[in-house]
Amino acid sequence: MTPPTAASLEAPRRSSLIPPSQHRWADVIHRLEAGGSMLPDTPENLMQIIGIYKAYAVPMDFYWRDLLYIAERVFLNPLPAFKYLISQEYLDLPNSYAGDQSKLRIWRGGEKAHPELLEFMAKGEAGSMPKLLHHLWHDRINMEFAEACMQAMLWHQGMGGRFYDYLETPAYRANADRAIKAYFRGNPVMLGLYKLFPEMFMEQVKQMSYYANLGLFWEVMAPVFFEMSDIYDAGGFQGVPDAMNFLVNGIFAVAGRPIYHHVYVGDECIEIIPKSEGFTWLYEAALPYVEAVFYRTAPFRGTKSYNAQAGQVPADQADFHYGILYADVFPVGSAGIPPTLLMQDMLHFLPPYLQELYKQHRRGEEDQLVQLGIAFQRSMYNVTSAVIQALRTALFYPLDDTDPEHLIANRRFFEAQMDRFLRPEARLGDIQTQDYR
Amino acid sequence: MATIIEAAKSAGCFNTLLTAVEVAGLTAALESPGPFTVFAPVDDAFAALPPGTVQTLVDNLPQLARILKFHVLAGAHRREELITRPEWDSLEGAPVAIRRAEPFEVKNASVLQADIECDNGIVHVLNRVILPG
Repeated sequence: MTPPTAASLEAPRRSSLIPPSQHRWADVIHRLEAGGSMLPDTPENLMQIIGIYKAYAVPMDFYWRDLLYIAERVFLNPLPAFKYLISQEYLDLPNSYAGDQSKLRIWRGGEKAHPELLEFMAKGEAGSMPKLLHHLWHDRINMEFAEACMQAMLWHQGMGGRFYDYLETPAYRANADRAIKAYFRGNPVMLGLYKLFPEMFMEQVKQMSYYANLGLFWEVMAPVFFEMSDIYDAGGFQGVPDAMNFLVNGIFAVAGRPIYHHVYVGDECIEIIPKSEGFTWLYEAALPYVEAVFYRTAPFRGTKSYNAQAGQVPADQADFHYGILYADVFPVGSAGIPPTLLMQDMLHFLPPYLQELYKQHRRGEEDQLVQLGIAFQRSMYNVTSAVIQALRTALFYPLDDTDPEHLIANRRFFEAQMDRFLRPEARLGDIQTQDYR
Repeated sequence: MATIIEAAKSAGCFNTLLTAVEVAGLTAALESPGPFTVFAPVDDAFAALPPGTVQTLVDNLPQLARILKFHVLAGAHRREELITRPEWDSLEGAPVAIRRAEPFEVKNASVLQADIECDNGIVHVLNRVILPG
């Protein structure tokens, strides 16, 4: 283990034009002002987060494909028992940001499903057997995690962007109506139910639109993480800030990517949310995703009981704090709950250097789900840092600005972001040290 | 006097903006009587965006149009009028904040030149592309 150096924990402030911050997270704020990440710049942190990005990207390559498959093809199937058994067409669906055909190539690799994913889907942990047995044995990619993220976005809503507002418009309802009628054409039972309970069907279509939203969001993140892993393997990142800046540039590069929802009934394509609505990856997908999934989510069933009447759950949804940035990874590591499902998925694709690292610490292989969960937490603090730096770039001022008023505006922005980590559940303090595992 | 488009063309430092307006199909709108207030980022402002940013927008015209409309207000507003209110609704829908009067700043951009009078509105030249949020 490489202990963090004093220099990496407390980066010198580039500018003495404004007085030091008095915030509880002043050290972190000064580091952000110096172009750093919330995660200290140590070689081990870099190794941990890149290894996790790689392990995350492989299941994510399944998540985005299956999310789009469900949104576009499975759609309102009343008994969607096979929704996780993705079609070959969607496994081959060319990623818009990988492969030779991509207009903006982020990952140097191919456009189809990742080879490690295909290998795992064929064999799982239990060896070769029919797909359906893998599915029932739960020896597969846990799509339930992706659906939990989708539901967090659907449930929280109102997190900026115009996506949810659009779902209430007459234009959306008319498009959804067309899609419902086309999908259940020749099915008098379902069409009859639609007549009786139209709002129930509308709600289901809205949920499908969030499947599409998250699928299109992750279609970008999977090649971003694959490329970061390849850069690291080639010795390309010098430190955590390099990894963060790669993400910042990526956020800008794809910010204008359209977010839409198309449904296919046979060969017919029905545009429930057309690209022409102008919805963008940054505003309608990425920022709501970070807010809903990294910060808010909801208490998971089966880990801890909360008494809402006693005020143990915030009255205001904006104060929810059950996301990865606040998670206590140990009790969360219980069977069946979404974060554990993700950890289990990532475990299958850990690069050898992380497997080695986990063996050396704590209980070795016995608690590697917890160790990789904490590494995931570190890596998501770095992604959140990238989002914060991207927003600072987009809405505020360069870090080397010389106007004190601009520097104070940047400072206020950083401090406001750090206010969210003042509550005791926040893990920002834990990730400052290397022995939090 | 010239229209907003003509004025921008003759200035010579708005090539990216003019191309973007053209491909987004907004040229005709900006040649209409308006009037409009246009916050016009110079070429260097677009060049300062991370690589790929502009290309993704040019490949997706409704999304490009949305960002461009954020740079336009309905009505002709000179600096003196703009600084009387903290924010103004853009044609994109999101508000544009006027952060400072002296020196004149619109959101996080500095106004390099204010109050360029045109037939169909007023142009303020920005050193940065402004984004909603």
